[in-house]
Amino acid sequence: MAENKTALVIGGGFSGLTAAVEIAEAGQDVVIVEKNPYLGGKVAQLNKYFWKLCPPVCGLEINFKRIKNNGQVRFYTLAEVQDIKGEEGNFDVTVKVNPRYVNDKCVACDACAQACPSYRSNEFNFGMDKTKAAYIPFNQAFPFTYVIDAKACSKDCGKACAAACKYDAIDLNMKPETINLKVGAIVMATGWDLYDATRMDILGFGKVQNVITNMMMERLSAPNGPTGGKIVRPSDGKEVKNIAFVQCAGSRDENHLPYCSYICCLASLKQSMYIREQYPDSKATIFYIDLRTPGLYEHRFLWKAKEDPNVTLTKGKVAGITEDPATKDVIVEVEDIFSGGKVKATFDMVVLAAGMVPGTKDSKIVKDVSYTPDGFVDASTAKKGIYAVGTLKSPADVVRSVQDATGVAMKSIQSLRRR
Amino acid sequence: MAEQVIKPDLEFVKGVMAAGGDSLKKCYQCATCSVVCKVTPDKNPFPRKEMVWAQWGLKEKFQGNPDVWLCHQCSDCTAYCPRGAKPGEVLGAIRKQSIKQYSAPGALVDMVNKKALLPLIFIFPAVLLAVLLSAAGTFGIPEGDIVFSKFAPIRFIQVVFTPALLFGLAVGAVGMKRFWDDMKKANKVYSGDFMTSLISTVKDIAGHNRFKKCNENADRFTSHFLVFYGFVAAAIATALGVLYIDIMGMESPFRLGYGTPVKIFGNLGAIGIIAGIILMMSNRFKHAEKLGGAGSYFDWLLITIIAVLGISGFLAQLSRIAGVATIAYPVYFIHLVFVLSLFIYLPFSKLAHMFYRGAAICFNKYSGRE
Repeated sequence: MAENKTALVIGGGFSGLTAAVEIAEAGQDVVIVEKNPYLGGKVAQLNKYFWKLCPPVCGLEINFKRIKNNGQVRFYTLAEVQDIKGEEGNFDVTVKVNPRYVNDKCVACDACAQACPSYRSNEFNFGMDKTKAAYIPFNQAFPFTYVIDAKACSKDCGKACAAACKYDAIDLNMKPETINLKVGAIVMATGWDLYDATRMDILGFGKVQNVITNMMMERLSAPNGPTGGKIVRPSDGKEVKNIAFVQCAGSRDENHLPYCSYICCLASLKQSMYIREQYPDSKATIFYIDLRTPGLYEHRFLWKAKEDPNVTLTKGKVAGITEDPATKDVIVEVEDIFSGGKVKATFDMVVLAAGMVPGTKDSKIVKDVSYTPDGFVDASTAKKGIYAVGTLKSPADVVRSVQDATGVAMKSIQSLRRR
Repeated sequence: MAEQVIKPDLEFVKGVMAAGGDSLKKCYQCATCSVVCKVTPDKNPFPRKEMVWAQWGLKEKFQGNPDVWLCHQCSDCTAYCPRGAKPGEVLGAIRKQSIKQYSAPGALVDMVNKKALLPLIFIFPAVLLAVLLSAAGTFGIPEGDIVFSKFAPIRFIQVVFTPALLFGLAVGAVGMKRFWDDMKKANKVYSGDFMTSLISTVKDIAGHNRFKKCNENADRFTSHFLVFYGFVAAAIATALGVLYIDIMGMESPFRLGYGTPVKIFGNLGAIGIIAGIILMMSNRFKHAEKLGGAGSYFDWLLITIIAVLGISGFLAQLSRIAGVATIAYPVYFIHLVFVLSLFIYLPFSKLAHMFYRGAAICFNKYSGRE
């Protein structure tokens, strides 16, 4: 019989949030442990998401509202699970909570940031801009509490922030804490990371300024992104009127990620619409091996893209990207398979449709489960009471991750209530 | 779209897969290979299209196809292939099929390159040579100073080896002509200036210009360059021998000192061949993991012939200088066996590439596609 009636959810992205609210709304206590200073994960970084192409904050807001109304979900941000002992119904979990240096008295008035003399690279925007060392992760962050990045903040900088705060919300003496949680079920929901695009030496990322990743494109298009949603290229801020998308940038490639990352085709089709909507005279070209849009909705989406005469779909994988040093334009080398010729085409900016790497590729905190060589969780090997959700098991979109999270919530409730 | 009936030739597919192209079916036509390849023309590039033709057994597509021969197996394609389909190895295997098609009789290509027949490949020329030498009455270890012409008289060498070489060259030349005609039938000719193309081809081959475009396996330039010019030097030494003996009427130029051109070219050739072939072998092992393996049986048969030929030739000279007749003559015999093998198997082994690759490079220029 389960001694501990609380479920632990590791990771507060869309999957973890869904699992947490579903469990809590069935009457069980839930703790979320999230490594970022905010909840929402990758979805919070998207400009629009499927299937209604609405801003993802609206979906996140619904979940945050459910958390607030329910009252049975606790969460720790800036926290990492370090150790798990025990078994179903009786897990003992060690969690390290890193200091935020800002307490709950924060009203997000921005005074500390204004006073702060130091800057940090903004990882929420993939380094495309900077924030002050005292910052709010993004304008709709939850919790809506500032953070001080100690690494970016010299001693004086912290003092300047503290002096500027009228609410006594800054506590520079905060130390990392270790807490113990007694839980009955564990949901692994650490999501995914984008494959490191610099590893594809022929695709120019990191060397050619106007080559970005698909996640950077989301930030570049988002109203709360580094350019306020105006799609301009990194080198000179020029409006992007001619864009290329390089599919399978790392995915379906034994030298990188041997599997299909599932979301990239639809993501590029969606992003081609961002640019087409923003600049009516713009052109978008998608270079692909196969356009994988499984499902009726996805097919319709592809058809919609095909109807646009300014969107070109070219079969052929890009295998060479260089920079025109004079204009900073991007030169893409590809074999146009249907026309039978090797072509060099020039674009204002190129987006690499980089693939998904499971969060468990590099961080295997949960020991009682097997991992595939690519780092995915082999769910069939998980110890009783431990469940993995969404992109930890295979690449998946938000919809499928949410469906999976609901199913996993059911299994977790069983673990908590098993007699 | 006009209806097209595809007739797959399964034997062709099996032949390619057996000859080192066993990864063929992994290809999913992404075209990374055609893009990273630096020796392919931009118009209808290879090797992506060859991969799908070979998968489907479209043997007729390879009739008069210069592209499999324009490939120098740099293996940039293999290194970047996302599926481990090894286009470089597959094209190598297709080239074997191409040799089979054009070097008549093609069945000999399979026989020469059959693992099970390996000892026979060398026993045949060895026995042939032993019988002929016995008939000439010189088979055995002669008394006195070590002079190889006591064992195999110069006239004997001329009478046996010249026809052997001419046989190899003739079969290759006929194959090359058939290949050329097929290429003309199968491809559009835009340019058609033969002499200019030929001169440019000779320049390309002499300078190994196409090898220089390889990235992943740039080492191959050096090894092929050494072996190639090793043979050129050896050929010059032989030609000088003919000049001395048959034109200047000297008894044997080979007994002249080491400073004579014959000896200089002969030894430079030997060093080039030996150094080049050793480098070639070590490169194959060094790059095996990344570039799709150390090569097929077809590759290694030729490498072995050249390696034994070079090393035995040099050892024969050393043991002659050392004065050890019991080693010098047998080693010299082995040397002759492998030289004979090289000549008679010339159009049926991988060495046939000299005809077909040469023709393909020239045709690519001639047709104006380059």
